[in-house]
Amino acid sequence: MNRLRLALPAGLVGLVLLAAWLLPSLLPWDYRVIDWDHVSAPAATPGHVLGTDSVGRDLLSRTLVGTRITMMVAIAAAFVSLIIGVLWGAIAGWCGGKVDALMMRIVDALYALPFMFVVILLMVVFGRSILLVFIGIGAVEWLTMARVVRGQMLALRHRPFILAAEAAGAKAGFIVFRHALPNMAAVILAYLLLTVPQVVMVESFLSFLGLGVQEPMTSLGILVKEGADDMDVYPIALLVPGGVLVTLVVCLTVLGERLRDRWAA
Amino acid sequence: MTSVFRYHGLRVEIAGRAVVQSLDLAIAPGECVALVGESGSGKSQSWMAPFGLSPGIASGEAWLCGEALVGRDEADRSRLRARHVGFVFQQPLTSLSPHLTIAAHLEEAFTQAGGARPDRATLAAALSEVGIDQPQDRLRQFPHRLSGGQRQRVMIAMAIAHQPALLIADEPTTALDATLRREVMAMLTNLCRKRGMAMLLISHDLASVADAADRLIIMRQGEMVEQGPTRDVIAHPGSAYGRDLLAAAPRLDGPAPHRPAIGALLLEARDIAVSFPHPGWRRGRLQAVDQATLTVHEGEALAIVGGSGSGKSTLARAIARLGPCDAGEVSWRGLPLPPRDRIRPAERAGFQPVFQDPVASLDPRWRVADIIAEPARHLGSGVSQQHILAAMAECDLEPMLADRRPHELSGGQAQRVAIARALITDPAMLILDEATSALDVLVAGRVLDLLARLQRERQLALLMITHDLAVARRLCHRILVMDHGRIIEQGDTESLIRSPQTDITRQLVAASH
Repeated sequence: MNRLRLALPAGLVGLVLLAAWLLPSLLPWDYRVIDWDHVSAPAATPGHVLGTDSVGRDLLSRTLVGTRITMMVAIAAAFVSLIIGVLWGAIAGWCGGKVDALMMRIVDALYALPFMFVVILLMVVFGRSILLVFIGIGAVEWLTMARVVRGQMLALRHRPFILAAEAAGAKAGFIVFRHALPNMAAVILAYLLLTVPQVVMVESFLSFLGLGVQEPMTSLGILVKEGADDMDVYPIALLVPGGVLVTLVVCLTVLGERLRDRWAA
Repeated sequence: MTSVFRYHGLRVEIAGRAVVQSLDLAIAPGECVALVGESGSGKSQSWMAPFGLSPGIASGEAWLCGEALVGRDEADRSRLRARHVGFVFQQPLTSLSPHLTIAAHLEEAFTQAGGARPDRATLAAALSEVGIDQPQDRLRQFPHRLSGGQRQRVMIAMAIAHQPALLIADEPTTALDATLRREVMAMLTNLCRKRGMAMLLISHDLASVADAADRLIIMRQGEMVEQGPTRDVIAHPGSAYGRDLLAAAPRLDGPAPHRPAIGALLLEARDIAVSFPHPGWRRGRLQAVDQATLTVHEGEALAIVGGSGSGKSTLARAIARLGPCDAGEVSWRGLPLPPRDRIRPAERAGFQPVFQDPVASLDPRWRVADIIAEPARHLGSGVSQQHILAAMAECDLEPMLADRRPHELSGGQAQRVAIARALITDPAMLILDEATSALDVLVAGRVLDLLARLQRERQLALLMITHDLAVARRLCHRILVMDHGRIIEQGDTESLIRSPQTDITRQLVAASH
C-alpha cells in the first residue's frame, strides 16, 4: 500500500513521458502536416486515432508533441530553480545577519512583481520566443526554492555536526556543499518535484494567452486553448490535452507531496 | 499485602524477536521498584508493551489493580491507563505544550480520568506538593519560563494529579543536571510514601536509583539477571553484570586514580568574556562568561564544572574558537591564538573537541572512515586507510565499522568515532564538552577508561566540561567551578572535593555522592 502511494503517480508520469518521446515518430501523421481529406475528423478515423483539429492536423500527434514541449519548459525551469534557488538560499542561510536580510528582501521584491506583466513586457521588447518563456518562468520559480533552502540551512547551521566540521577545519564552502546540502537533499528534491507542475501550469497559461510557444510548434496550453474554441461541437480536442495536463499536474504534485512527507519525517 | 502492579512470566516480542523474557515483578502500595539496565536491555519495553504504548506484543501475565492487561483491547487498556497510572518521561523540555499555560496543563491532567474541574487553589497546592515555589505565579506562566527541573516537577504534578495507584517514571532525572537529579528523585520517593502510591522506576544508572528504590531488578538483553532488596543487591551483587554496573559509575570516595605527570604550559586564557543579546524584546546583553582565566599544561586534565546555564560550555567554545568571544586573550604554546574567523589550520590541529551528543555530532550521511579522516583532510595533508584503521583500533572500534553510517552505531560506538576523529590530527589537547553525559553508565565508564588510557599513552591534555564532579575526578588534576558565568572556585581535585569553599561546590559534591 505504501509503495503504491509513490509508484502509482510516478508510473503514470513515466508512462505519459515515454509516450510523448517515443510515440510521435511511430504515428503515420506528423504533428505539422495537414490531412486535407480529414478536417475536424472525429475519433477513430483511419490514420487518426483521436481525430484531427479544425485544420486537419492529427490530434494525438499534436498532444504528444505538446506534452514534450510543456515538460521541457518545466524541466528547464526546475533546473534553474535548482541552481539559483539552492545557491541563493544556501548562501543567505549560511551567512545569516545582514547578508541574509538583504538576499531575502531581494527574493521578497521579486515575489511582489506581477510576474505575468513582466513576461508580457519582455515579449513586447524582445519579440516572442520560446527562450523568453524559459527565462521568464525560471526567473520566478527559484524564489520558493531559495526560501525553502534558507529555512533548512538555518535549522542545520546549529546542529553539532556542522560545528564539528568547523572544528575539523572545514571551510565554509566545504561545510555548505558537503555537510549541509546533502543533508537537505531529500527536501530539495521533493520541492523540485512540486516546482514542475507549477511550471506546467504557468507555461500552459502563457500559451493559452498566445504569449508562449508559436505555431506550428505546440504545447498543452495551446491545445487546450484551441480545444476550448470549438468545445461545443468537438469536445475531444479539449478533453484529450486537458486530460493529459490534469494527469501530469496532479501526479507530480501528489508525488512531490508524498516524497516530501516521507523524507521530511 | 496485595500488589498494585504484578507481572508473571511477562514476554514482549517485536517483529518476532523477544526483547523481554519471563519477567516477574510485583509492586505493593507505597513501594518503589527500580528496573535497571543499559539501553537495549528491554527495560522500557517491559512497561510500554503491556500498556499498549509500543509496537511490542506482550504475552504472559500482567495485572494492574486486579485487572489483566494482556489480551485486552485498546479501549480497555486506555481506560485502565487513564484511571490507575501516571507516567513521567525523560524529556521535560519537549513533554509540555509550549502554547498552554502551566494551569492549562494541570487542569487537563486533573480532568483526564473524569475528575471534576479543579479550582486555582487545588492547582497551586498540586504545584507546591512537587516543590515549586510561588505556585500562584507559575500557574499563569508558559513552559518556556520554567527551568528544566521545574518542568520535570510540573510533569510529575500532572502525572499524579488524578491520584493514580501506580506511577511509572522512565529515566525521570536523566536529562537533569547532577544537583537537580537528587532533589527530584527524593521528591518522587517522598510522594510515593506519603500517598501510598506504587512506583516503577526505570533507569540506566544504578547509583541514581539506589536511594529511592526499595527493590532492584537488573535487566540485560531482555532477561532479568538479578533482583532483590536494594540494600542487598548493592552490598553483594550476585551477578557479574550487577558488579559491573555498580563499579561503572565514577565515585567521589575511594582511592584517587593515578594521574599522569604534567609538562610545560600549553594553553592560557585570560579574562575571557562572552555575552549574548537577551532573547525576545528585552534590552541589554546576558553576560554568559565574565572574566574567566585559566591555564592548561601538557598532559594535564582540567575540569570545568557547573550546573546548566553556568557558562561552562560557552567558555570552552570561546577558548576553542568555536563560539563567540567578546574579550580576552588565548595563547597556545606561548603564541596568541587568532579569533574564530582567522584561525589557521595548523593552530586548529592542536586541540580538537568532542561533543555531548555523539550521534548528532557526526554527519548522518558520511561513512565512519570519512568522518574520522575529515580533520586530517582539512588540517593536515590527508591520511591513509591504515592510519584511519589505526585510529579506530586505538579507540577500540572494529575495522568493519569503517563503512557504517552514524545511525547504525550505538551511542558508545559513535562517541568512540568522535574521539578517533579528534585524535587523527595528533592534537595536544582534547576539549570534552559533556562527552559522557548522554551515555549509559556502563558505556560512559568504558569511554572514560578509554580517555584515561589516551591521556596516559599520548600525554594528552584534557579540558573537560561536565556537571558531574565524580566524572571530573576520574580524569582531572584540577577542577574549576563556574556559576553564572564566573569562576567561583578552583583547585586541586582531591582538596576541592574534600573541602569545598562555596555553596555551589558543596551542592555539586553532595549531588555526586
